[in-house]
Amino acid sequence: MREAPRKIGSGPKKIFKAGEIILEVRDLVQAFGDRRVLDNISFQVRAGETFVIMGGSGCGKTTLLRCLIGAQKPTSGSIHLFGEDITRMDPFELDRIRLRFGMNFQFGALFQSLTVGENIALPLRHHSDVDSSIIEMIVKMKLELVGLTGFENFMPSELSGGMRKRVGLARALALDPEILFSDEPTSGLDPVMTAVVDQLTLDSTRKIGATAVVVSHDMTSVFRIATRILMLGNGPRQGQIVAEGTPEEIRKNPDPFLQQFVRGEADGPIPLRMAQDEYLKHLLGDG
Amino acid sequence: MKFVVNALRRVEGDGYVTLNARIYSFLLWGLTNPRVLSPSLTLRQMIRIGVEALPMASLVALSVGFILAMQSSTELGKLGANAFIPDLVSLSLLRELGPLLIAIIVVGRSGSAVAAELGTMKVNEEIEALKVMAISPTRILVVPRYLALMIMLPILTVFGNCVGLAGGWAVCIGTLDMTSSFYITHAVQRPELWDLYSGLIKSVVFAHLIITIACYQGLGVTGGAEGVGRATTASVVYSILWIIIADAALTGLFFFVL
Repeated sequence: MREAPRKIGSGPKKIFKAGEIILEVRDLVQAFGDRRVLDNISFQVRAGETFVIMGGSGCGKTTLLRCLIGAQKPTSGSIHLFGEDITRMDPFELDRIRLRFGMNFQFGALFQSLTVGENIALPLRHHSDVDSSIIEMIVKMKLELVGLTGFENFMPSELSGGMRKRVGLARALALDPEILFSDEPTSGLDPVMTAVVDQLTLDSTRKIGATAVVVSHDMTSVFRIATRILMLGNGPRQGQIVAEGTPEEIRKNPDPFLQQFVRGEADGPIPLRMAQDEYLKHLLGDG
Repeated sequence: MKFVVNALRRVEGDGYVTLNARIYSFLLWGLTNPRVLSPSLTLRQMIRIGVEALPMASLVALSVGFILAMQSSTELGKLGANAFIPDLVSLSLLRELGPLLIAIIVVGRSGSAVAAELGTMKVNEEIEALKVMAISPTRILVVPRYLALMIMLPILTVFGNCVGLAGGWAVCIGTLDMTSSFYITHAVQRPELWDLYSGLIKSVVFAHLIITIACYQGLGVTGGAEGVGRATTASVVYSILWIIIADAALTGLFFFVL
């Protein structure tokens, strides 16, 4: 069991042992008007897992992730994070939970007015009373971890998209979170850097005992890091769980929707284009 | 005190009143723990919002001083009452034109910049990143700007009043054969202390309106670059509108009640 980082205001908390349920989603529904983006989603994530949520564009992966980090209130259902239902929490209570996880945003979400080093130091300065010299050392360690040693004084605008992503990951790991949430951490990265980021995700789970919840549609990356996979559907199965299981179970699952996605085939049940009759009706109107 | 602060910090929603409640919760908390008010960030904002606005505010105040003296000399001269020009310039600036015009300059220069800056941060997910890191955007982005403007606008107003009076002096000395001692004696002796205070009360109210409207519009941006543009425009328009309404209300209050 790892030692929890010293944080101001976090109070006493339960440290989850490997295999214990750390995140549980029950009957989650997220609707925008009449459109159900997430439809009765239920799953559990156990401590120490690398849980990957995958699915095609527009299937609700990012919406689900936003619900999990408390950035969005779901229409109905519950999300138990560290054993507490975050859907019923006010912003003040939610902050207590947020101190225990890190979030790696799709495009880094770095503060443009701060240097790379200041970006990584921000959560440390706000949530710990650690001395500045120690913070500087932690920043250097985190930058080394993501292969950006010596970039402390660069501004985010001076970095490439991939480098920004890695700084975002370093910032998410700054407080040694119990859960690392990642939104498309490898999209837009070259194969070597994809492997580096995958290794980092694995390191953060296997070496320091954290749990990772990753949203991705990069199949190579998914099968490299996942201990369990959740596949969300779109089209007629919009926002529903198509399959859930270990990478091996997902590979063997005969669901044609799932297999089309895993193999990256253009033809299959995933509706990208309208059927001929439907298309004619759309062009000519119902009459 | 702690109960009130925590209750205010639990307020949900993104409305204008909610934003104000959050600002006051941090200000109350800051009374017992000044670190909450981020002194270094506040100082940085005081320089950006206040000190860097000095040249523009000075130019406007100087021009207003010129205009007031020249316009009044046209009519008062006909009545042989040029001696009252220093009184008129001084009272107009202290009570009304100083606070109002400096506030409008700050709306255009700093209010719009705050709305655009926060709006861009919202579009780039920086605001959401702060929330997810359990760092309140109100605490580190809004409160320093709020404090900076609440301190700097009255200071800019006093400075603008002085520069405006200098503008009036230049016209009176240069074209109306008035002596410096006559101008200064009348410009300083005629107004009462309340005239200065009423202008400063107005500038504090204007500062509150400018910065809360700018932050509310900036944090409420949706829809990318177009949304940032809309928020910036709305920030300027609503600020000027509410400043003028507040000015009318305060002038009425001072005129009829106090």
